[in-house]
Amino acid sequence: MPSASPSASRSGRSSGGALPAIDLPASAATVAPTLDLTLLVLLYSTVAAAAAALGAVPLVWRARPSVRWIGWANALAAGLMIGAAYALMVVGLVKIPWSGIVGALLGVVFVNRTHSASGTADLDLNRLEETTPEYGYQVLLINILHSAAEGIAIGVAMAVSLPFGVFMALAIAVHNVPEAMVLCAILTARGVSLRDAATLAVASNVSQILLAIVAFALVTAAPMLLPWALGFAVGALIYLVMAELLPECYRQAGRTSIAVVTIVAMGIVLLLVSLGA
Amino acid sequence: MPLTLQVFLYGLVTALATGLGAVPFAFARSISPKAVAQAHAIASGLMLGASFGLLAEGTQYGSWQTMVGAVVGVVFILLTEVVLRRQDVGFGRVRGAGARRMLLVMIVMTVHSFSEGVAVGVSFGGGMTLALVIVLAIAIHNIPEGLAISAVLRPEGVGVWRCAGWSVVSSLPQPLMAVPAFLLVETFSRMLPYGIGFAAGAMVFMVFEEILPEAYHDERRHPVAVTVTVTLLAMLVFQQYL
Repeated sequence: MPSASPSASRSGRSSGGALPAIDLPASAATVAPTLDLTLLVLLYSTVAAAAAALGAVPLVWRARPSVRWIGWANALAAGLMIGAAYALMVVGLVKIPWSGIVGALLGVVFVNRTHSASGTADLDLNRLEETTPEYGYQVLLINILHSAAEGIAIGVAMAVSLPFGVFMALAIAVHNVPEAMVLCAILTARGVSLRDAATLAVASNVSQILLAIVAFALVTAAPMLLPWALGFAVGALIYLVMAELLPECYRQAGRTSIAVVTIVAMGIVLLLVSLGA
Repeated sequence: MPLTLQVFLYGLVTALATGLGAVPFAFARSISPKAVAQAHAIASGLMLGASFGLLAEGTQYGSWQTMVGAVVGVVFILLTEVVLRRQDVGFGRVRGAGARRMLLVMIVMTVHSFSEGVAVGVSFGGGMTLALVIVLAIAIHNIPEGLAISAVLRPEGVGVWRCAGWSVVSSLPQPLMAVPAFLLVETFSRMLPYGIGFAAGAMVFMVFEEILPEAYHDERRHPVAVTVTVTLLAMLVFQQYL
């Protein structure tokens, strides 16, 4: 069936007659898929960002979650993220080229440097009690940078294939919920209303939408950048887990419970990936 | 020399290669708390990278089988932990949490070697050239595994030679499993994805439960994150290009 349409337009061109009427939709059709896809990237990354609002829901019942719940929320977010990194590596790169490895190292350097530059390298990210006045803003800034890396993951996955991109966007969306719960708990503990906290959680994820579209556009325009971008996302995601999500977990809840939550979250993503691949 | 004996000897070679993982620790003089933390970070990165490679390989044989194996691997470590916590375990002169960690690493790495031994044995069914390539590949892969074991044992005060010895011990199932796997290729190649999944699940769980928290204990989180991520990537490169 699909092979019939180009031959029809070719014969239409040679016969003349209603040439523009046939040719115009044909040429529009070559533009339309990427345009539609860009809209889909916008749609799915917006869904992923908006999912952060759900993080405020548990706080409706319990204004200040116990430290253990914060730990488990972080572990859940960490497991989903490692699963996403594995998916990017296995589905996207199959056999990892050198450009992918260099990209991954660049991802590590990017997150590491942005933390040092913003002076947040040694910041405890889960403080509910007394802190410095600027603490809330620092945590928001970290969340914005964190979301940027996730946006690249969504955009690049969309460039690999649409189903994979949707899968990645949904994985990140689910990941955003526990992450936003932690952020909302920090903000509400500092006197921000729950509704404002939810709004800020979504707003801090807007960088995700922007980076998803930029990454998708870049990789679609220059496919040779794909392994670099995939590698970058893999390196950045793993680094974020190791530097932001996991370190405090172990002080908030028991090691065994943290390990179980992390590995179950990771296993679910891995199972879905290996069944889909 | 009969082929069965050759299979055994090649399996022994891969096991001995594991001992080379202790070599870097012969050059490390003092062991500060930060160095201990970094050693744990290295072990975490190596094991996570190895598990990623195993999972990718296992899914080629069968996704479900690999996943079932992985779940069993996690449950196995959980149960082993429970048993070890109840007892006052000792490993050499070390007691308590350190000894439990050392014992767990040894158990996991030894069990993991079974599937590598099967891989060696099965590969001899496909001709000598292929077999030698796989033997060489597994022997080289064993070096970072010995490194991971030494990175956990050495900070507890185990000498370099003993680290090398324990590394080799953890790989002894390789020659032992290679022979039956070679003789019964059909049966064993069907079990391979379960074994691979088991090893991956057990290793990942052990990293999150025992080794990574130790790394965060005595070192700030960004240096730990750099070491874990870079060793993980290095392990991926290593598995792919060697």
